[in-house]
This record gives sequence, C-alpha cells and structure tokens, in this order.
Amino acid sequence: MSALVDVEAADGLPRSRAPALVGGLTLLIIAGPFIALAFATHWSNFHFAPGDIGSIGVSLGYSLISLALIVALGTPLAWWLARHSFPGKWMLDAIILLALLTPPLAMGILLTTLFGPYGPVGSLVAHTGVELTNSAPAFVLAQFYGALPYYVVAARAAFEGVPRELEHIALTLGKSPWQTFWLISMPLARLGLAAGIALAWVRALGEFGIVLILAYYPQGIPVKLWVNLQDIGLSAVYPLLWVFFLVAMPLPLILGLASRRQGLF
Amino acid sequence: MRIDYSIDHPVQLEVNFEVEGFTILLGQSGEGKTTLLRAVAGLLPAHGEPFGGLLPQQRAVGYLPQGYALFPHLRAWENVAFALPRGPQRRVQALELLARVRLVDVAEHHPAALSGGQQQRVALARALARKPQLLLLDEPSSALDAATRDEVMAELISEMHEFGLPALAVSHDPHLAALADRVAVMSGRRIVQQGTPAEVLSRPGSPAVARLLGHRNLFIARVVGHENSSTTLLRWEAANGITLRLPRQSELTAGQLVQWMIAPTAVRLPSLKPEPYRPDNPVTGRVESRLNLGAHFQVALSCGTERLWLAATSDLVRHHSLETGREITVDLRSNALVCWRQSA
Repeated sequence: MSALVDVEAADGLPRSRAPALVGGLTLLIIAGPFIALAFATHWSNFHFAPGDIGSIGVSLGYSLISLALIVALGTPLAWWLARHSFPGKWMLDAIILLALLTPPLAMGILLTTLFGPYGPVGSLVAHTGVELTNSAPAFVLAQFYGALPYYVVAARAAFEGVPRELEHIALTLGKSPWQTFWLISMPLARLGLAAGIALAWVRALGEFGIVLILAYYPQGIPVKLWVNLQDIGLSAVYPLLWVFFLVAMPLPLILGLASRRQGLF
Repeated sequence: MRIDYSIDHPVQLEVNFEVEGFTILLGQSGEGKTTLLRAVAGLLPAHGEPFGGLLPQQRAVGYLPQGYALFPHLRAWENVAFALPRGPQRRVQALELLARVRLVDVAEHHPAALSGGQQQRVALARALARKPQLLLLDEPSSALDAATRDEVMAELISEMHEFGLPALAVSHDPHLAALADRVAVMSGRRIVQQGTPAEVLSRPGSPAVARLLGHRNLFIARVVGHENSSTTLLRWEAANGITLRLPRQSELTAGQLVQWMIAPTAVRLPSLKPEPYRPDNPVTGRVESRLNLGAHFQVALSCGTERLWLAATSDLVRHHSLETGREITVDLRSNALVCWRQSA
C-alpha cells in the first residue's frame, strides 16, 4: 500500500493515491462516448443537414428566454422555501419533487392536457391568438417545466447555506430586508446559484421528452437530432451534436469559473 | 441607560437593569443572555425599552454576536463601510473608523485572513459606523486566546470608553467582571444583583452569584451565636471545628446553617515585618498545591476536609517557603467574610 500514499494534495499533506486512481477511471468512463464520437465522426465529410442551423438558433434563443424566466420566478420561490417554515411545508416540497420525478414524456402529455387547444388554459389563451402547442411560447413553456425544479432545488440549498446571522447583522446595520438580500444573501449564495443556473441551462437546452410532445415545432437541436436520425441516419447526427456541445458548454463553464473566481488556466 | 425587557419566546425572560459605561451581564449558559441581546437588537419579538416596537434596521444599536459575523465576501474596510451611506466619502470614513481601532494596515484583507482579536475590532468599527446609542456584545472574550484575552479585552473596553458609548456585554466569564464599569448578574432568568464590580465581587448577594463570579472559597458553617453587639460567631465544622468571627448579622440565630465565603485575596499570610496586629480568625492549614501566576501565586491550603484558596504575592510565598506539605497559619479578615443563610 505504501506506493499508494505518497501523493501530495493541494494542501501539501500526503494523501492516498486511491481516490485519484478511481476518479481517473470514472472520468474515463464518462468520457468514453465522446471519445467514440470523435472517432465515429466523418471529419473529411463534415456537413450539416438542412434545417440544422435554424435549430441551433431556436435552441439558443428560446433556452435563454426560459432561463431568464426560471431565474426570475424560481429565485423568489427558492428563497421563500429556504427562509420560512410553516406547518404543511412538506406539501410544497412534494410538489417540487413531483415535477422532478415525472418522466419528461409524461410531463409533455400533462402539459398538452393543460395547455393544448382543448385544455382549460390552452383554449383560454387561444382567444388572445396565442397557441400553446407547436409554437415559440410552447417551446419555452416545455423548457421552463423541464428545468425549473432543478434550479429551485439548487437555489434553495444555496440560500440555506447562507448563515442567517449575517443577514440579521445586515439588518442591525440599518439595511432593509431587500438590501440585505442583494448585498448579503445573493453574493454569499452565488456558488450554489451559479450551479443552479448552469444546471437549468443544461436541462432546458437538452430537453427532449416534453418538447417532443408539446412543441415538436419549432425544432430545437434535441428534436432535430431525432429527426436527422429518422430521416437521414447516424451520419447526420454527429455534426449537429458537435455544434450542440459547442453552444451548450460555454455558459455553465463560465458560470462555474466565475463563481469560483478562477481562470481557465 | 436602563434596559427593561420582557421576552416570551424562545425563553421566558424579564429583566430590568442599568447599563453604564462598559457593563457586563454575567450568567450561566442557558440563562437567555444571547436571547436578551437579540431582543434588544430587534431580532426577536419582545416588549421593552429602549427601542421598543422598532424594526431591527431602525434601532441604533451596534450588535457584535459571538464570532463577530463579519461578511466573509467583503474586505475589512468594506465590512466597516457596509453601514455607511453611499458616496465618495464612504471609503475615507471606513478607513478613519479602522484607524480608530488601529487596523488600517489590514483594510484590504478579507475576514478569514484576520486574527480573532482583529476580527473583533473590525466588527466594532463596523458597529460604530452605524452611529449606535448602545453597543451589544455577546461573549466578547470567547473567541480570544487565553494568553491575550485580558489584554485584548482591556484594549476593547478602553476603545469603547474613548467612543463614549454605553456597552452591554453578556458573558459567563467572571474574569470580565473585574474589567467592567458595572456588573449585573443573572440567575434563574432574572437579574439577581447589580452594581460596581468592587461591590458585586466582594459582596455577592447569594452563593449562586458567588459561584458565577468564580469564587472558590465557599463553605458551610453553623451559627454559634452573637458575642456582643458587634460580632457573630460561626463554627466551621469541616475545618476541625474552628470558630469564625464576623461582623454581627442580627438575622442569624444560633444553630442555623450558613454558607460563607472569603475572597482568596482576603486570606492573609503573616506579613513580612512583624507588626502589632491581632488576627481576626487564625486558621491553620497544610499547603496542598500552588499555582504560579507570575507576579502572584494561588495557594490551596487543606483545612480539615476543606480546601481554602489564598492569593499572595510571590515575595510572601517565598518568604514563608510555602512548599507542598508545609503547615501555615493564615488569617481570615472578619470584614471580608460574607455569609448567607442556608436555604432549606
């Protein structure tokens, strides 16, 4: 075992080599499919299928809108859940858990039941000329439902991690609860909030099941990947997949680095 | 400033006492001391004066909780500037306040890079920036090293005197009492005694207060009777039944059990130069152990089955060569004896 304990960790203390070895192996397992993708891609004949470029715009644009809605509506909810306790609070936890648990396909069906042309909300909104299926609002709605619970869970944990005492001290220093929220709670929860935003972004952008049912059109990248596979074959999936990684990666990566005040190199 | 508060929850508490200069509220853990401070700061529902009915952000108090609660994401000067109005003068004012607690050189440091004492002074400067009428300190000595505690606390107290602000510190540390301008003692969720440290330390109102104040020489005796108009006699059974004389306590009757105490500093060793002096209560004991505290010693004498502590200068201890096992006769000064009727 002595060969396994002579590695120095960042704090300069001798550490066991075992976690690094197991960690490396796990990373390799995670990276496996992407390594395979690199080999499977026909780099000499790299081209997009018709409609691929449009799907990139749809995915990016609407994901940003859903992300903004998720943060705007999810943050107050997460704060409320983190900072207030009352009898029956478990029921609210159960509702969020329910949204997390429901398989995407089933969620798509439920949303269609509610927002579809014959659904109670859908038929009402249709009077204003807005369709809540197979439309831009439907696409945003599908992503919103898919990603919101993840953000709320992460943001709530982030707010719960902020010592209440610091918020109390801010009050005794003459700040209003609103100022305290912006000056103390938000900055101190930033790591967890950034993780929540990154998670919501990844979930929204990659949402397939709900989108497939509620908003087959306009086609974002995940549905277009499916369509390409059906209509053309595997070779039409890989180029779009590479682009998906390229557009999906920067936001969570930058958020992660920025919240840790860390550089790329 | 008079503090008059009643709290129902999380503990039931009713207190009324005077804060003058640096005031220490002494009490054991669980008495509700922190609860009282939080109530005065407006962080708990309570009734009372001052500041009754105001929101926490409207109360002119500077609250320093245990551990100081500096904002970890802000530098030292930003912590101090937190309560200051926005404007070009903000940084200058914050640095001035840091200068008053002699910490300008760490203005750019984050709290994690500061020592306990420095954090405490930053927290003080931050509280002062709020322009409070009253400072509230929760266990101000608890996060300090034992070695530097007294020094840091004395410095903190002299800083508060300079600012001319009344301060209320709650603590279970009897050490602090000697440093304060005023002491209030809390027991059983109410104030049982208050006054200057000299008054309270030399004349604790009850054995419980004496124990809270850290007095170790607490013993039981039986009242023998009154000798004349000025003296009461006690019999200290546990120390070979010796008789103790103390100023007359008319409320005591013969046969009653009493608790009595004497401060270790009032236990007199025979003086260096022989002097015409009649001991009040000579007590003979054997040196059991001694603690060297630098300029003076704490010596434990075993008297019968009891242990009597005395505090004496190193010179005296050397003069009498108080080694372990040595027998010595000391004098318990009559007027330094305090006694209370044993409650049934």
